[in-house]
Amino acid sequence: MREAVIIPTGDEIRDNIVLDTDSPEIMAQLLRLFPGCLIHRIPPVRDKEEDICAEVERWVQQSVDLIVLIGGSGGGHRFSSTLGKDYTHTAMDRLLEAPVSREIYGKNGHMWCKLICGRRGQSLIINLPGPFVEAQAAFGAFCTAYTNNQENLKAINEAMVAAVMAQYH
Amino acid sequence: MNKQSAKSPEDAYVIAHADKTVLKISGLTVKGLNDRQLEELLTTQLNSVVRVIGVTASSVDMDIYGIEEDSIQKDADGIIRAVSLAEGITVSELSQIVYAKKVVPVSFDDIPNHLAASCARERWMRNA
Repeated sequence: MREAVIIPTGDEIRDNIVLDTDSPEIMAQLLRLFPGCLIHRIPPVRDKEEDICAEVERWVQQSVDLIVLIGGSGGGHRFSSTLGKDYTHTAMDRLLEAPVSREIYGKNGHMWCKLICGRRGQSLIINLPGPFVEAQAAFGAFCTAYTNNQENLKAINEAMVAAVMAQYH
Repeated sequence: MNKQSAKSPEDAYVIAHADKTVLKISGLTVKGLNDRQLEELLTTQLNSVVRVIGVTASSVDMDIYGIEEDSIQKDADGIIRAVSLAEGITVSELSQIVYAKKVVPVSFDDIPNHLAASCARERWMRNA
């Protein structure tokens, strides 16, 4: 992998209400696997679907190998007005050419997260949940599955979902 | 049109059958919160898994796994004290647990057509 970009999302991250602890972890895992990789971590993108799409598209045009979106993967504002607005997965649904995805629900019907991966142009695009332990586990699973077979998006997605689920069982 | 509308439900989603209580604390001043540290502090306090699921400049929403709401209310002072130790949170005499509610299961069999980007509970409520 030559070049990757990490895109944290969320108004609470952008406004420094919450520290972005996920991006350094993702960068560390990537560097462990690909020491020569050029990694960009861009300023957090606000919770607006158009903004997320535009940022992803900008990096797709530069043909980076991997785009990692963090946060905004759950039911969020659709479930509770006090939760953040979650638009990452809807943005990816719009952009990806043949997305592979799976949703994780709590038994109360709240969508915890929807993990998607797919390609646009030359770029592989994945998303991660915002909570640190989930992001850490999901990206660890991604790294393993990607190393095994970077073309098998279904296996990558399944491994990431299983890693998130494992945090609760 | 949803590109994945032909998926079977088994492929589309999984259900995490975990008991949890949703907790909201208000009256906080939040700036630069290390939410990972907050989760660790509360996990130690409650001896259970804690996830921060929503943060504003004055409140924090969390999921607490495997603990009943009564137990959380009884330990309210300890919880506020643990929260006060997290980097990026300032508590005051106004800080309090606004609610602690155990989640109510819904029947996934009763959820109508899968709508992309919506929440199952939202669809279930529409169908109720």
